[in-house]
This record gives sequence, C-alpha cells and structure tokens, in this order.
Amino acid sequence: MSAEQPSPATTQGPPEGGYAVIGKSVSKIDGREKVTGAAKYTGDLKLPNMLYGKILTSPHAHAKILSIDTSEAEKLPGVKAVITHKDAPTLKYGISPARWDENVFCIDKVRFVGDKVAAVACIDEETCYRALAAIKVEYEVLPAVLDPLKAMDEGQPQVHDEYPRNINTEIHQDFGDVEEAFRKADYVRTDTFVGNRTYQSPIEPHSAISVWEDGKLTVYSSTQSPHYFQYYIAREFGLPMGDVRVLKTYVGGGFGGKLEPTGLEFGGAILARITGRPVRMFYDRHEMFAHNRGRHRQYMTVTTGVDADGTILGVHADFIMDGGAYTSLGIATAYYAGAMLTLTYEFDNFRFDMHRVYTNLPACGAQRGHGAPQPRYAFESHLDNIAKDLGLDPMDIRIRNARRPDTITPNEFKVNSCEMKACLEEARELSEWDKKKGKLPPGRGIGVATGSFVSGAGYPIYRTDLPHAAAMIKVAEDGTAATLYTGATDIGQGSDTVLSQMAAEAMGYTYEQMKIVAADTETTPHDFGAYASRQTLMSGAAVKQAGEEVKQQLLEVAAEMLDYPVADLDIRSGKIFAPGNENVSLDFTDAARRFFVTRGPLVGKGSYTPPKLGGTYKGAPVGTSPAYSFAAQVSEVQIDEETGEIDVLDVWDVHDCGQVINPALLHAQVHGALYMGMGESIWEEVLFDSKGRIINPNLGEYRLPTALDMPRIHSSLVESYEPAAPWGVKEVGEGATLPTMGCFRNAIFDAMGVSVNSLPLSFEKVWRALKAKREEQST
Amino acid sequence: MQAISDAQGISRYLVNLTVNGDPFTKVVKANTLLVDLLRNELDLTGTKKGCDLGSCGSCTVLMDGKAVDSCLILALEAEGTEITTVEGVAEHGELDKLQRSFLDSAAVQCGYCSPGMILSAKALLTRNPHPTEHEIREAIAGNLCRCTGYVNIVKAIQTVADGPDEDSAPTAGEVTA
Amino acid sequence: MYLPDFEYLAPRTLDEACRLLSDYGSEAKILAGGTDILVKMKGGLLAPKAVISLKYLDDLRGIRYVPDRGVVIGARATPNEIMDSPVLHERYLSVSEAAHTMAAHQIRNRGTIGGNIVNAVPSADLPPILIALGATITLVGSGGERSMLLEDFFTGVCETVCTVGEIVTEVVIPDQPTTGSTYHKFALRRAGALAVVGVAAAVTMDDGVVRDPRIVLGAVATTPVRAPEAEELLEGRVPTDAILEDVGVIAASGCCWPINDIRGSEEYRRDLVRVFTRRALKRAINEGHV
Repeated sequence: MSAEQPSPATTQGPPEGGYAVIGKSVSKIDGREKVTGAAKYTGDLKLPNMLYGKILTSPHAHAKILSIDTSEAEKLPGVKAVITHKDAPTLKYGISPARWDENVFCIDKVRFVGDKVAAVACIDEETCYRALAAIKVEYEVLPAVLDPLKAMDEGQPQVHDEYPRNINTEIHQDFGDVEEAFRKADYVRTDTFVGNRTYQSPIEPHSAISVWEDGKLTVYSSTQSPHYFQYYIAREFGLPMGDVRVLKTYVGGGFGGKLEPTGLEFGGAILARITGRPVRMFYDRHEMFAHNRGRHRQYMTVTTGVDADGTILGVHADFIMDGGAYTSLGIATAYYAGAMLTLTYEFDNFRFDMHRVYTNLPACGAQRGHGAPQPRYAFESHLDNIAKDLGLDPMDIRIRNARRPDTITPNEFKVNSCEMKACLEEARELSEWDKKKGKLPPGRGIGVATGSFVSGAGYPIYRTDLPHAAAMIKVAEDGTAATLYTGATDIGQGSDTVLSQMAAEAMGYTYEQMKIVAADTETTPHDFGAYASRQTLMSGAAVKQAGEEVKQQLLEVAAEMLDYPVADLDIRSGKIFAPGNENVSLDFTDAARRFFVTRGPLVGKGSYTPPKLGGTYKGAPVGTSPAYSFAAQVSEVQIDEETGEIDVLDVWDVHDCGQVINPALLHAQVHGALYMGMGESIWEEVLFDSKGRIINPNLGEYRLPTALDMPRIHSSLVESYEPAAPWGVKEVGEGATLPTMGCFRNAIFDAMGVSVNSLPLSFEKVWRALKAKREEQST
Repeated sequence: MQAISDAQGISRYLVNLTVNGDPFTKVVKANTLLVDLLRNELDLTGTKKGCDLGSCGSCTVLMDGKAVDSCLILALEAEGTEITTVEGVAEHGELDKLQRSFLDSAAVQCGYCSPGMILSAKALLTRNPHPTEHEIREAIAGNLCRCTGYVNIVKAIQTVADGPDEDSAPTAGEVTA
Repeated sequence: MYLPDFEYLAPRTLDEACRLLSDYGSEAKILAGGTDILVKMKGGLLAPKAVISLKYLDDLRGIRYVPDRGVVIGARATPNEIMDSPVLHERYLSVSEAAHTMAAHQIRNRGTIGGNIVNAVPSADLPPILIALGATITLVGSGGERSMLLEDFFTGVCETVCTVGEIVTEVVIPDQPTTGSTYHKFALRRAGALAVVGVAAAVTMDDGVVRDPRIVLGAVATTPVRAPEAEELLEGRVPTDAILEDVGVIAASGCCWPINDIRGSEEYRRDLVRVFTRRALKRAINEGHV
C-alpha cells in the first residue's frame, strides 16, 4: 500500500435504505461448529506421532537453583525428552521490548512459585506427570519479597539485580499545573483505594503444539496474536519470521492472558526439535493461575480539586502496582493506569505518578481493560465522596464534567466522537435514577460510574513501521463465494463474523456466501491480533479497503458488460445496479466470472496504519488511539444489613461505541465485559500464603460468578459516529469492564453510607464497614 | 470384571458403554476418566476439559439422561450406561432446537462452555420442559462461562422452554437477541 | 491432573463389599459418587491401592418411608434424589432444601449422602439438618451391623467413628413430633460454594411454646455441633424476637469455634451464627419443615 494512507472514514452514517449487511445481527460464522462440538481447540488436536509435554515449575517464591538431576525422569518408560536451561536459548525475552527479563527456563534462580525450571515430552499425558515428579532439583531458598508496598524499601530481596529497589517501571507525568489548580479549587479531597489481584481464567486452558521440520517451526496455539507469537518465537530461536508459522484454530477466551508466548510455546518448540515429533504442551488450571499475566493489584491515591459546583479543576493520581516477578505487558499497564483517567471527564491539570514494582509473585500483565479498571474504581468512588461532601448528586457532577466530542485530553489524546453526556443522561433515564436516588427502601442503593477505552492502541507493542492490519479478499472464480483472509484473531468476541460482514458490505456482497481464513501467519496477511479492542476498527479498516478494491474492479467489468458508465453503478447484496435506473441489473456472480475469465483472479487488498497520534512526552504513545468508546453504568443493589451480603439487582450499561456492526454480538460483549467487571468487583481475588504459594488456584475457591449470581443486565447504546473509523465504529470489548467496580462501590455507598475502599467488595468487608459505622454512631 | 495385568503389573479392564447411540468396548486402566475415554479413545473432543475438579462444567455429558461432570467419573463407572455428548445432540446433521436457539440468541462466543451448557440445558428440558428463569439458571449454575455473562444463554434456553413443543425454527440466519 | 494407578473392584453384594474392605483394610477406599475421592486423588492427597465401587449395590439406593422406622435414605441417594424426593417433600422438606444448596446440579447427580457424611468436612450441608432431626446412621462391616445417632458419628475434621472395613448403608430420620425445621446456608456465591456458616434448627411447637429445640451449627467447629446453651435458653419459652436474638447471641459466643480462613474470619462467622440461628429458628417456628 502507498505511504499515503487513504482515510478509512466514510461519509457519516448509513446510506439511504440502510446498510445491507453491517448493522444486522447475523448468526456467527463459526457458530455451528461450536454448538456441535466440531470446533477443534488446540487441546483437541491430534497430530500423527504426537507427544505430550509439561513444564516443571518452582515450588519456591525465590531460590537459587543449585542443581537439576533429570536422570531418573529420563529413565521412565515413555519419556522421550527432558530439557532444562541447558537445552534452551539463553536470550532473555518478554512481550515488552523495553524489559526482556524472562528466560525460557530459569538459569541461576527462580523468582516465583510457578517459575519455569524444566520440561518433559512423553508418549501420554499421565507419563508427563510422573516424569516431572522424577526430576530432582536442589534449591537454596532465598528470602522473598511478597509485599509490594515494601518492595522498594532498602534491604529488600532483589527480584532482578538489574532493577534496583525492585522498581520495574517508574512514571512521572505532569500536565498543566495541578498545584495551581488545587490552590484555586474550592475543595480538595484525597482518597486511597486498593485493588485486587485477579486472573483472566478463560475456560479453555493454554495449549500449544509445536512441529519442527527441516529447520522450520509450526506452532498451533491458543493465542490472541499469531503475529506477536511468531515475532517473539522467531527472535528467541534466531529464525527468520518466514520460517516460523503460528496459527490458531479456535480459542476459548483470552482476555489478555494469551497475548504473549509462554513456556508452552518456547519449551514445546525445543522438545519438538529434539524429539523430531510434534509436541503438545498444556497447563492444568492451577498452572494457569501460576503462569498468570492477569490483573495487577494497584494501590491508588487520588487527589482532586473541584469548584463548589463540582467542576473538576485538577487531579493527582499516585499509584503503586504489584507487577510480580516479570514485566509481561506491565509497562504498558502502568502507563494505561494513569492515561485512561483523563478521558471521561474534562480537566486540564493532571499529574500521574506510578511505581510498578517487582515481587516474587506470579507476573501480572494485561487483563480486560488493561490497567484502567482499578483506577476507574478509585476515581469513581472518589468522585462520589466529593459529591457527597459538596451535597451534589453523583449523576449531576458527572454530567457537569462529561467530556465533549472533538476535545483533547491534558495528556494529548485526541477524542473525536464522544457521547459521554448522552450516555449518562440515557443511563439516568433508563435506571429511573431521579425516582430512586435517596428514596429507596433501607438497604437498597443506586450508584453510577463511567468508563472509556481505546479502540486499538495507537502504537504496537514493539517498535515497527508495519501496518497494524492487512486483509485480502479473493472472490471465487464464479462469484458464488468470497474468502476473506485476515490476520485478525477471533478469540470468541466474534471478529470472524464481524469482519466477514464488513467485507460483504464493502464489496456489495452477501454475508451468507462469505468464507474466512484467519490468524495463520502462513496464509493470512499481517495483523497484530486481538488486544486493546483494536480489531473492529483497525482490522475492519483494512477489510473495508480490500472490499472496496474488489468492488471497484468488479464495477469496471460490469460497466463493460452493461455498456454503462462505471461511476453510475453500485453493488448491493450481490446485485449490480444503477441507482435510479431499474433497467440496469447484473448479478455479482456473472460479473465476477467474467472478471476471472478476462482478467484473472479477482482479489482485493487493504491495510491500515493509524495516523501519528499523541504527544512527545515520555510514555505518550500509551493511551493513544484513533477512537475512544464511552460508557455509563448504573447499578441498583440490595444489601443485607446484618450479613453484608450484596444482591445486585439491576445493571444498566449505556455505551457509545460508534456504528454497530452486529448488534447481537455487541450486546453480548457488553454482557461479558460487565460480567468480568462484576466478578472482580465482588468475588475474585488470587490469594497467597506466607510462602508466596497461591491458596486458591482452582475454580472452587477462585469464585467466578455463576448463572445464579447475575443481576438483570440492561445494555443499550447511544447514537454515535466515529469519523476516524470505517463506518464510524468503535470498541466495545473492554469498555464495559471499566465502570463496574466503581459503580457497585457507589451503589453500596448509597445504600448503606459505608465505603468499601478495597476490592473485591466482599460481603465481609461490607459487614465490617457496617459494624464500624454502628460502633461509631453509638460512641 | 476381568482384569489383565500389563508389563508393569498395572491392571487393564474392559468397559462396555453406549455413546450417542453407538456401542463401544474399550480397554482402559482403572484410573482412566470418562472424559479422557471420550476425548482420546473415541475422538469425541466436543466434551472439554477446563478444571479437572468438577468446578467448571465444561466436561458435562449426559449419563443415562442425567447431566454429570465426566472429569470426576472413572470410565469403568460408566460400564453399561448410555452417554450423550454434544456430538450426539444433532440428528442426521440437523441441529436440534437448543443448538439452533443458542445460535439465534447469540449465546455462543468463544464456544468452550457451549457443549456443556447445551447438555445441561438438554437434561433440564427433558425433566422439566417449561422451567422458570430461576430453574434455568440453577440447571446451568454448574457450567461456568467467562464470555457471555449467561445473559443470552438463559435467553436461548428460555426461548426453547417457552416455545411450542413441535420443532419450529426462527428465521434462519437472523439472530433474535 | 491425573489419578495414580489402583485396582478397581466392583462387588455385586454388600457382603462381598465388606469382605473386600476387610481384606484390603486401610489400603482400599470406597468409591460412591467419586466427587470427593477423585478430587483428593487428583490432588495427591490420597493414593489407595484399591478402590471399591458401590456401583452395583442397588440396595443402598432409594428413599422410602418405612412405618415404625421413619424415612430411610439409602447411603447412595444423591443430593438431587434427596432434593426431588416426594417422601421428603411430604415429611421433611428442609432436608430436600439442604441438599438443594449443595454444589451444583452435575455434582448433585453423582455425590451421595453416604459420601457427604463419611467425608466429614466441617462445612458439609446434610449433617446439620439430619442431626437436628435426630437422624441415625447405620454402618455395616464384616463384624456385623451397628447404628448410632448421627450426632455421635463425627469426631473431628474429616474424622468419624466409621472404622476401616465399615460401609455406611443408610440414614434414618425417625418419626417425631417436631413441627418445623430448616437449614440456612451462608456461602459466598449462589452455587458451587462451601458453607461459610450453616445453621440447622428443629422445633416442636406446643401451644405457642417451643419444646425440644435443636440447633446444629456447621462449618464453625471441627464437626457439626449442637448449641446446648442456646437450646436451653429457648426450651419452654414463647419465642419472641428478643428471645430469639438472645438465643442467637449465645449460640455465637458459646457454642462454636470458627476459624479464620479464606472464606471468612472468625469474627464474621460468629456474627453470622448469631444472625442465622435467629433466622433459622424463626422459620422453623413459623413455617414448618421448609
């Protein structure tokens, strides 16, 4: 594609007669396979002569490795290979290029309970467990740093020698003049909140199959990004990208936890090479918890200065986050934590201080909302405290400060479309806020919160000039099918379906005849994959361009066939026509066939690179995006005053996500994002003992909400159009996770007058807060 | 129950069971789980493994019509039983009402919980053809989903429960969510 | 996760099962539903040489009313069978409701009352209500048969008087004058969750006065425990709200020994005992067996 990127923007809104394909709730393109059990996830695949592999992990949070004796394991019948760091490249890796701090297998020491020490390949799964048990590792246990609030103190054990005081990332950003804002303010308040360490826990465990043949590597993986996997695996083994193929079949959820290659890919590749056989590696559920790369726990102090009428003048956010033993995506997470705070409300003065520290706990990475949900909880709770102090309605204070379209945040994010105010007003009405606020029966409360998220990151994870997305469409020789080739990765969110709709719309074709080949670095063009809610906008822009290229070529042939000016022709739902002249009609299929016969394959190509976004200060790229979604959530809760039990009755989510491609799938994403926000709000927390071992690495004691725990969910949208996006689309996959934690805390605050200042908002914490309040009132 | 010792002195046993209407006789070890027999010996990978401990329900199958977690059942305990897996729900390639409803209600996202959900729903509607919403949620409370918040899954099951008893499909291709 | 290797034995009669148990002694474990033993074996906590399946022992199934004995629940009755049993709905709906609170549907199709009792996890949901209703339990071994009050069956965390070589065959709820009973389970989510606190209550109302109150607390001691001091306070009294509150306070302060764990602190659990003792009694007094 030329360097001059044609803008993906279109004229605002649907044409007369509406869109033909997009905007419709078509059935999922991969739905049938999923409901019949035909869909093969990586763990379902069997290749001829395949072996099974597992990783031996450390039982200690921090220890020197003195020796590893694999001899007994190697002798076991059915064990085909046992490897350690001696068999692996020693090149440090990590998904964040600024911090390559992990080894394939630990060399001199282990840094958390679950760190990778060795791996085996065996003829069946059962033998793997026996083989792992037979490997003898001698450790010298070292003192561990398990408390992130102490990690930076002098004298603490150092997780990585290269990072003194265990500081992984330190951020100091200053925009405008916060001190001046606080001086001018009528009221300044400070609050501190603590988040919780949670884990994505997709229902499908991680799994990877490596096949090494003739010096070339093929990896099937449960991955969110074949590209990033390909890039980092190639780098680790010193292979050209073209010699590494990464593909996914079906993925059972990722939520950020499957964005980086793990020991299953790296270790599996080595085992495949040594044995000369395919090797399928897998994690058990408790191993998934240990591998983690889930949500960071943040300790958040926020100070805000406001006018008497509630107008926000300035904000200072001072955070510490527990990064665990490795960086993973944590640098970006640290920046996102502050970056996203400036989006939903307008203020010019913002200071953000952050320390991401290393601890000897499982590494944290990107989890749905990427660093932003907990700060959102902190700020929304803080705002409600301010509202209460000033005697203002929490809804009013938010509407007063709501961001407007075509504005720029203090940290230089350009916001085009923005319907924050409309979302709040709609949520206000749908929830009957005014009828309820202050008028509910005892124990019942109503709360509101907002959120905003990027529609794709302005810059990729590693520095590169590659376009962010590319797509190809091939129309079958007789036009009765068209295949979309895209690197975009469907991990359950429905990108295969939505992109197929976009391809059909752009070509003037029908969805029912679309086919898709996706997420295979050998056959599909480059795409960064599923993260930062990028695919509808970014992959969609490339797909749109490819479709329009097909359409244009087809119209030229049609013009010849019809002897009609090409500029007066259009295509819709597989029919070529001339608007206003009903005598002109030609089937897509006929034109396509003619094209192939006279000109060869009918192929369209597209790619997308976002414009240069953001400021020039340190960390400016993180948080940039071509577009931002906005959401307001209201929840109504009933608290059992004696036990603290929280019954969430209703949640209203109102979203501004631009043009909707598939309404059913969109609302389904809101349901899911809200569900994860709910889980993290009330139930989920990864807990450790004094030796850094996870106490609850299972789905019995790490409580995901069940169908019985769910409230009534009301998902609605406001009209919106994003000029920087194909057809005006924006993200939705992560936006609904952001407001939930603050929303519930605020509803509880309204119901009982008590503030739960840490997540999760457990029943016991509510009980404690109520008890403290009663005791205070009686003294 | 006849046991034969293998070279390592571990006993192997014959197990006879019917799966999706087909009779099978297989040789297993005592420690073989039903979920592994189905997935590895019979190549029926529609039944999933999510947690190994009976907490997530992705391994749900029907055993003599009752929904059970196959990861906590020995293959030998399934001797003489009739097992239904997700592969046995559609008949002659025709999706059944529940499967179609899951598609029409946008109740499938990543799809990993779907086989277990569909079987739990099937067991429910067999024993209780017109359940309330609460009864539906109870029936699937042992099936964890990380993608949908259960909203459309409950809707999909409710639609079948509230619908006519005869087979009638909504407009093909259009989702009603 | 995987299971270690073991011998699988599936006796056809109770006698055969007892013989095998006797032969293997502590090297064998009974397999009823498997929902507990297989979890323990996968977790490396158990590695029996042999597993004796009760699969063919149909005599251990069934829930029926037997005149002069009471409601007889076979040891292999599953929580779902208990939940749906017309016999229990008619006589002691509270027992069905207690089974209803357990785990989730799939586990309830496989777990058994025998297993739930013999595993003796302090938070088990069936023992409290059964004890409140004066249930007895029957054990059979090579040496013969014996019965005792379920209340006397538990000796510690996962410990009972059941010896190696004995199998639980049935639980019997005797005919009794109780007019109401109920089980309150407090857990951290609405399915698939262990009791943080469980309170069972049974009463015989006699002209507005409480007779023979039984309060049984689960998950707050090493075994399910009666609350004798609390029961004493209520015996023979008209149950006003104030009295019920006091009964709850006594149960909480004197009749339980909760621990701090990841599901709740000791302090929280005590207060929950107070609240649920009061609530359970109120229901048992006013609503019958619910």
